[in-house]
Amino acid sequence: MTNHWIDIKHADVIMCIGSNPAENHPISFKYVEEAMDNGAKLISVDPRYTRTSSKSDTYAQLRPGTDIAFIGGMINYILNNDLIHKEYVVNYTNAAFLINEKYDFNDGLFSGYDSDDFKYSKDTWAYQTDKDGKQLRDDTLQHPRSVYQLLKKHYSRYTPEKVCEITGTAIQDYMEVIRTFTATGKAGKAATIMYAMGTTQHTYGTQNVRSYAMMQLLLGNIGIAGGGINALRGEANVQGSTDYAILYHILPGYLKSPTYDNKSLATYNEKWTPKSTDAQSANWWSNTPKYMTSLLKAYWGDAATEKNDFCYDYLPKRSGNYSFIPLMERLQGGGFEGLVCMGTNPIVGGPDAGSIANGLDSLKWMVAADLWETETSVFWRRPGVDPKTIDTEVFLLPAASSVEKEGSISNSGRWAQWRYKAVNPPGHAESDAFIVDQWVKNLKKMYAKDGEFPAPITDLDWNYGNGHEPDIDMVARECNGQFTRDIRIKGKLYKKGQQVPSFAFLQADGSTTSGNWLYCNSYTEKGNMMQRRGQEDPTGMGFYHNWAWCWPVNRRVLYNRASVDMNGKPWNPNKPIISWNKLTRKWEGDVPDGGWVPMSEDGTKSPFIMLPEGYGRLYAGGLADGPFPEHYEPMESPVNNLMTSQQSNPAVAIPGKIGDVANYPYVGTTYRVSEHWQAGAMTRNLPWLVELVPDMFVEISEGLAEWKNLKNGDMVTVTTERGKIEARALVTSRIKPLRVQGKMIEQVGLPWHFGFNGLATGGSANTLTTATGDANTTIPEYKAFLCNIEKGGLPS
Amino acid sequence: MTAASLVVNEIKGYHRFIKFLILLVAVAAVASMARFVFGLGPTTNLNDTYPWGLWISFDVVTAVPLAAGAFTLGAIVHCFHIKKLEPLVRPAIVTGFLGYSLVCIGLLLDLGQPHKGWHVMRYWNLHSPMFEVSMCVMAYTTVLLLEFLSPVTEKFGWYLPMRVLRWLEMPLVILAAAISTLHQSSLGTFFLIAVDKLHNLWYNPLLPLLFWVSAICSGMCIIIVEATACHKWMGQPNEGVLLRTLAKTLPWTLALYIALRVYSLLVLSNGPFFDQPVLTLLFGLELGFGFILPFFMFTQQSVRNDDRRRVIAALLVVFGLILNRFNVSMFGMMDPNQIYYPSLIESLVTIGIIAAHILFFVLIAKYFPIFEHHPETVDYSLPDRFRKIDGGKGSEETVPVVGQPVAETND
Amino acid sequence: MSKVDTSKQKAFLIDMTKCTGCRGCQVACKQWNQLEAEKTEFFSGEGYQNPPAMSEYTFTRIKFRDYQKNGQNEFAFYKEMCMHCEDPACASVCPVGAFEKTAEGPVVYKADRCIGCRFCMIACPFGVPKYEWSKGLPLVKKCTGCYERVVEGLQPACATACPTAITYGNRDEMIKIAEERLAKHPDKYIHKVYGKEEAGGTSVIYLTSLPFDELGFKPVTLRPLPGYTWQALRMVPAAFLTVGGGLSALSWITHRKDRLKKEREEEAATAGEPKEDK
Ligand SMILES: Nc1nc2c(c(=O)[nH]1)N[C@H]1C(S)=C(S)[C@@H](COP(=O)(O)OP(=O)(O)OC[C@H]3O[C@@H](n4cnc5c(=O)[nH]c(N)nc54)[C@H](O)[C@@H]3O)O[C@H]1N2
Ligand SMILES: Nc1nc2c(c(=O)[nH]1)N[C@H]1C(S)=C(S)[C@@H](COP(=O)(O)OP(=O)(O)OC[C@H]3O[C@@H](n4cnc5c(=O)[nH]c(N)nc54)[C@H](O)[C@@H]3O)O[C@H]1N2
Ligand code: SF4
Ligand code: SF4
Ligand code: SF4
Ligand code: SF4
Ligand code: SF4
Ligand SMILES: [Mo]
Repeated sequence: MTNHWIDIKHADVIMCIGSNPAENHPISFKYVEEAMDNGAKLISVDPRYTRTSSKSDTYAQLRPGTDIAFIGGMINYILNNDLIHKEYVVNYTNAAFLINEKYDFNDGLFSGYDSDDFKYSKDTWAYQTDKDGKQLRDDTLQHPRSVYQLLKKHYSRYTPEKVCEITGTAIQDYMEVIRTFTATGKAGKAATIMYAMGTTQHTYGTQNVRSYAMMQLLLGNIGIAGGGINALRGEANVQGSTDYAILYHILPGYLKSPTYDNKSLATYNEKWTPKSTDAQSANWWSNTPKYMTSLLKAYWGDAATEKNDFCYDYLPKRSGNYSFIPLMERLQGGGFEGLVCMGTNPIVGGPDAGSIANGLDSLKWMVAADLWETETSVFWRRPGVDPKTIDTEVFLLPAASSVEKEGSISNSGRWAQWRYKAVNPPGHAESDAFIVDQWVKNLKKMYAKDGEFPAPITDLDWNYGNGHEPDIDMVARECNGQFTRDIRIKGKLYKKGQQVPSFAFLQADGSTTSGNWLYCNSYTEKGNMMQRRGQEDPTGMGFYHNWAWCWPVNRRVLYNRASVDMNGKPWNPNKPIISWNKLTRKWEGDVPDGGWVPMSEDGTKSPFIMLPEGYGRLYAGGLADGPFPEHYEPMESPVNNLMTSQQSNPAVAIPGKIGDVANYPYVGTTYRVSEHWQAGAMTRNLPWLVELVPDMFVEISEGLAEWKNLKNGDMVTVTTERGKIEARALVTSRIKPLRVQGKMIEQVGLPWHFGFNGLATGGSANTLTTATGDANTTIPEYKAFLCNIEKGGLPS
Repeated sequence: MTAASLVVNEIKGYHRFIKFLILLVAVAAVASMARFVFGLGPTTNLNDTYPWGLWISFDVVTAVPLAAGAFTLGAIVHCFHIKKLEPLVRPAIVTGFLGYSLVCIGLLLDLGQPHKGWHVMRYWNLHSPMFEVSMCVMAYTTVLLLEFLSPVTEKFGWYLPMRVLRWLEMPLVILAAAISTLHQSSLGTFFLIAVDKLHNLWYNPLLPLLFWVSAICSGMCIIIVEATACHKWMGQPNEGVLLRTLAKTLPWTLALYIALRVYSLLVLSNGPFFDQPVLTLLFGLELGFGFILPFFMFTQQSVRNDDRRRVIAALLVVFGLILNRFNVSMFGMMDPNQIYYPSLIESLVTIGIIAAHILFFVLIAKYFPIFEHHPETVDYSLPDRFRKIDGGKGSEETVPVVGQPVAETND
Repeated sequence: MSKVDTSKQKAFLIDMTKCTGCRGCQVACKQWNQLEAEKTEFFSGEGYQNPPAMSEYTFTRIKFRDYQKNGQNEFAFYKEMCMHCEDPACASVCPVGAFEKTAEGPVVYKADRCIGCRFCMIACPFGVPKYEWSKGLPLVKKCTGCYERVVEGLQPACATACPTAITYGNRDEMIKIAEERLAKHPDKYIHKVYGKEEAGGTSVIYLTSLPFDELGFKPVTLRPLPGYTWQALRMVPAAFLTVGGGLSALSWITHRKDRLKKEREEEAATAGEPKEDK
C-alpha cells in the first residue's frame, strides 16, 4: 500500500478493482464505509457481482484479464477531456520527459522485441538526455516525444466502445465509472484504488497495476490522503515476508539478490546502484552499498570484513528464474531430491496443481512444517494414487500458529506490529523460529564436521540465545541493526553495540549491521518501536504515529511530498498529510518523504525519491513487457485480441497444455470466499467454517444453467486442458455472461480453497489453472482460463 | 405371585376389545419410552417451526374441553339443581378425571423437563396462560380425584372419607366449574400471543370466551355420546329421557357460541380471511358442520328425542370442537411450504392415550359403582351418617368385599 | 409487565447497508457460546447461506438474499438473532418465568427453571427460541445477548467481531444514531427504524436499504405481545369469583327450595300427617 488502511476513510471515490475486500479483507470495509458515510462513492469492478459489489454505488462487470483495456479507456478519457491534475502531472510525474526517438509501438509490440526468447531489449525505451546525462523535458507537454504525448497517442486507441467490446462491460456502467472516478482529478479530491489478486494474477499483472498507478498519477491521487494505489496484501504477514525477501530475486529490504555475474561486492554495487545526474533527485537507492554491507555484516558478523568483501562471496548467486512455476517444472522433471514446505500447500494452491502433485512422487524426502496435515504433506494418498508406489519419506513438523508465538507481523499498510504469545502451542508443535534455529544450529555442527564449503554456514552470526526458543527480541534488534564500533556520524558519537537510529545512519564500511535496512528505526535505543500502542491522533488524520511502527521511518503515507503544491501547501488543506510551516521551516503532519524544502525552493528534491529520476512514472522503461501497459488476451482466451494482432503478452512464452475455445468455451476464474482461507487447511478443518461453506462449488449464470439443464446444487464436472474436477453448481444472477465482440460469452467462477484432505473436502480449482505467469513477477495466471462444464460428477 | 396370577387370570377373562385396548396402551407406553431415550427430535415430527404438534393439539388442547362434561354436568345438576340428570354425573366425573389424568400424562411426555413440572408451583408467573392452565389442571384434577373418590369410598365402604366427600360435594362442584371456566378459556388465551401467526379466521380477542363456551357445548355433547355408547356397548340402561333434557339446553349454548363467533369474526377480526383455500375449507367444515348444523338439529324436537339422531348431532359438535382446536393450535398456524404431520410415535402415543381413556373407563365401570348412582338411591340431605338406600340396580355388587367395618355401615 | 429501568439498557444497532455478509458474527457467536457446528451440504438458501435456520446450535445467522430487481443484482444480508424485546412475549408466557428481561437489555434464560413446554417458541413473534431436539430432556436455546459479557462491560461477541454493521450501546443512543443516519442519507435507507416499535420495541434495531419484507422480515405487531394475553388473563380473578360466586348463590337458591320442602315434609311427618309419595 502507498497509504494505509485507516487512510481509506479520507477517499472521495474508492475503486475496488481486482479485489474483493468485503470478503477477503473484511476489516478494511470499516474504513471504506466510513468514507461512504461521509459521501464517498464506491466502485466495484469485478467479473462477478461480489459481496463488495453489493455495497457499491457503481458496479461494472468486466471479463477476466481485461483490466488494461478498462483502465486504458479511462486514461484516454482523462486525456481527451483534459481532466488531469495539471500542476501535479507536470511537476511530479515524468509526463514532461522526452523519450528516445527510436522508441516505437507497432501492432502490439514495443520496439526492441526479440520473438525467439520472448524478450525486449530496452535500449530504445530510455529517456532523452543532454550531454551531461540530464533528462530532457518539455513542461508544456506538447513535444511529440514527451511522455505525455506518447501516452496520449498510445491510449487514443482505447475508445469507450472498443473497450467495452473487449471487456464486455455495459457501456453505461463504464461511463459511470469513468465519470465518477475521473472527477477526482482536481486538487482537494481523492480517489483510491484497492487492488489485489484479480489484478496481479495475469500474464500482464504488473502492467495491470501500472495502469492503475498511471491513472492515479494523472489525477494527482498519489501521495495524498484518501488516495494512492493500495495492494491489499494476502497472507497475514505476506508484507513482512516480502520485506524480508521471501522472493528469489530479492534480499531483505528489496535489495536485488546477486546474479551470477556480480562477482564481487563492487560489481554488485556497480550493477544495482542506480545513478542519477539530476541534482534534484534524491535517488534513494544510491544508498544500496550501505544497505548491502550492513546486511552482510548482520549475516556474518565479525567474519565479514572489508578485506573479504564482507563475505559477499558467501551469498548464492542466481543464474535463472527460481520462481514458483519454474521450480515446479523442475520438480516434475525429477530435479529435486528433497522439498521443504514450510507453511505452504502447493498441490492445492499452485497452478496446474495436478502436475505438481505428480512431481512430488519423485522426491526422496519431504519436510512439511504446518499447523495441519495438508494435502501436500499427504500427497502420497491423493485420490487415484496407490501409496505403495511412492517411496518418498515424509516428515510433518507440527508448527505453532501465530497466536502461539511472539514476533512482529507487518500489515498491508506496512505497519510492523508486535504480537505476544497468547497460549502455548499444543502437543509437540513448535514455532517456525525454533524449527529454523534448530536447523541452523545442527547444520552448523554438521558443516563444521565434514561440510563442503562450510564457511557460509559455520561463519553465520547466529546468536539468539540458548533458550528453547530463539530470542525473538534479539532477532528484532538485529533486523534494525547495530553499530559494530564507536563511530561519529553527523557530529554525534555512537557506541559499539548501540542500535542504529535509522537507515540514514547505515554505513558501507562495516561499522553498522542491519538485517533489513527498511526496518532500521524499528528497534532503536528507545526500545522496540513495534510494541508501541499509543492511541493519540493529534492531527485527526489517523496516522497514529505512536501505534506500532511503519516502514520506512514510521512514514504512514508514501510519496507524501506529492500531497502538497510547489510551496508545500497541501492540495487539500482539509486533509493534509504534510504541510510546510513557513515560520518554523519544518514539515508538519506525517513523516515527510525526505525532509527537504518545498519544490519551489532551492535545495529541494523531487518527491518520488525511490526512483532515480525522482518523478512518478507514467512511462516506465524498466519492465519486461513495455513502458506502457497494453491490452493482450490471457494465455487462454475465448476471443482474438481486438486491439492488435498480438494475442498474448509477447514477453511471456506460450506454455504447453493450452486449450482452445472450441473445446473449452467458457471463461473460468478463481477466487476466495470469506469463509475459507487459501488452500484450506486452516479452515476446512474447522467445523464452524465448514458449516458455512461445506463443499466445492462453481458459480454459473442462470442462462448457462438453463442451457446445461442444471439446477442449483447439481453436481457438475469442470474440465480444462489440465484436468477435471467435480463441484456443485451455484446458479446465480450474480454471474452474468458478457457481450464480447458481439458474442455472448459465459464465465464461471470457482473458489480455490478445496482439496482432498481434511474435514471438508472437494475438488481443487487449481487442477484446472494454467502454469504460466506474469512477465515480470511470474505470478501465475490464476484468474483467467478456458473450461467446459458438464452435468454430473466425475465417475467414481 | 398369587396376586400377579390373579391379575393375569382376571385379564384373561376380558373381552377381546379390552385386550386390544390394553395392547394399544402397551404400545403407546413403549413409544413414549422411545421419546425419552432418543429425544423428541428423532421420535416426533416436531421441530423449531412446529414446537407443538399432535400431543399438544389433541392430548391437551382438545382433550381438556372434551373432558368438560364433568364440570358442566356437575353445575347443571347441583347448581341449577336439575336432579334428574344425576345418573349422568358419575360417569362424567370419571371421564373427566381420566381425561385430565391423561392430559397430565400427555403433558409430561411432551415436556422437555418433566421432572421439573412441579416448578410451576414454585416459580409463579401470573402473566403466563400456561401457568394459569397448569395450576388449574392440577387443581381440577385434584378436585376430580376427590369427586371420583366418592364411588371408590362407596365401593370399599370407607365411611369417614365418604362423609367428608359428601360434605365437600357442593363446594367441589362449584370449585370445579370455576376452575374449569378459567382454564378452558385460558387454553384460548394461549393463542392470543400468536398475533402474527394464527390465521385471521381464528385469531380474535374473544378466543378465551369462545373456548369456554365451546367446551361447555362439547362437554354436554360428550355426555350424550358417552351415555349412548354405554347403553349400546356396556349394557347400561338407556338414559334417553335424561339426554333429551340435556339436549334441550344445547340449542342455546350452541347459538351463543355461533353468535359470539360471528360477532368476533365480523367485528373484532381483521382480514384477509379467505386467502388460503385449505383454511377456508377447514373453517367452513368446523363452523358449518361442527356447530351450525348441529344447532339446527338440536332445535328439532324430533332430533332430541331420537337416540340415533341426537347422538349424531352430538358427535358433530364433538367433531366441530376437535376441528376447532386443531385449527387454532395447528392448521391455522401452519406454513403452507412446510407442513407438519404427526410421526408414527406421536400417533401411537395419542392413540394409546385415547385407548387408555376408554380402557380405564370400562375397567372403572367394571369395578366401581359409577352407573348405580341414581337420584332415588341417594339421600341428598346431608346425613349424620351415610346410608345407602336400597333398591339401586346392581347394588349387590357393591357390597363391600374386604376389611369393611360392617357394623358401622349397617347400623 | 414490569417496567424495566431503561437508562442502563443496551441495544444492537444493525445497519444492513453496512453488513458485508462476512459472517464473522455467526462464527464468533458459536465460539463464545461453544456451540456445535451443524452438518451442512452445499448451501441452504440463497447465496452462501448456511445453516438452513437458527437452531439449538445456531443463535444467530446471516440470511442471504440473492436476486435481481429492475435488472440490478441485489445481494443482501440480514442478521437474525433474538430481538431482546422490551416486553418479551417469551418471558410473559413462560409458566415458570424462565425468561427474564434484564435491566442491561438482554433477555436471559434460566435453564434450571425451564420445564420445556415450548410455549416461548410459540409465543416469540420472531421465531427465536429453539429446542434441543436431539436430547432426551431438552432445554430451550437462544441468543443470550451475551449477558455475561455485557455485565462485565464488554460488547457481545458478535458485535465485537463485526467489522462494519453492528453498533452496540445505550438503546436511546442507538435509536438516535439510527435516526441521524436516516436523516443524513434519506435516499439510501428505507425510512424506518425497525425495532423501535416492533413488538413494542426491541433491543435489536435494524436499518436497511431494501424493503424489510424482501429481506425476509416477518410482519409483526407494534403492540407489546404480552398485552394480548394479559387482557384476557387479567380477568381471571374476576371470572373465578363471578363463576364461583354465581354458582354458589345459584345452588344456595336452588337447594333452599329443596331444603324448605324437606323441612316442610319433616314437619308434616312429625305432625303425623300421611307421607306424600311424590
Ligand atoms: N477470507 C479470505 N481472505 C483472504 C484470503 C483467503 O483465502 N480467504 N486470502 C488472502 C490472500 S493470500 C490474498 S492474496 C488476498 C487476495 O484478495 P483478493 O484479490 O480480493 O482475492 P480473490 O478473491 O482471489 O480475487 C479478487 C477478485 O478478483 C476478481 N477477478 C478475477 N479476475 C479478474 C480480472 O481480470 N480483473 C479484475 N478486475 N478482477 C478480477 C475475482 O472475481 C475476485 O472477486 O486475500 C487475502 N484474504
Ligand atoms: N487458483 C488460485 N490459486 C491461488 C490463488 C488464487 O487466487 N487462485 N492465490 C494464490 C495466492 S495469492 C497465495 S498467497 C497462495 C497461497 O498458497 P499457500 O501458501 O500454499 O496456501 P495456504 O493455505 O495459505 O498455506 C499456508 C499453510 O501454512 C500453515 N500455517 C499457518 N500458520 C503457520 C505458521 O505459523 N507456521 C507454519 N509453519 N505454518 C503455518 C497453514 O496451516 C497452511 O497450511 O495461493 C495461490 N493460489
Ligand atoms: S482474517 Fe484477520 S487479517 Fe483478515 S480481515 Fe479478519 S481480522 Fe483482519
Ligand atoms: S425475540 Fe422472541 S425470544 Fe427474543 S426476547 Fe423477543 S420474544 Fe423473547
Ligand atoms: S419451554 Fe421453558 S422457557 Fe419456554 S416457556 Fe416453557 S418453561 Fe418457559
Ligand atoms: S449477542 Fe451473543 S449470543 Fe447473541 S447472537 Fe450475538 S454473540 Fe450470539
Ligand atoms: S459480522 Fe457484521 S458485517 Fe459480518 S455478517 Fe455479521 S453483521 Fe454482517
Ligand atoms: Mo496471496
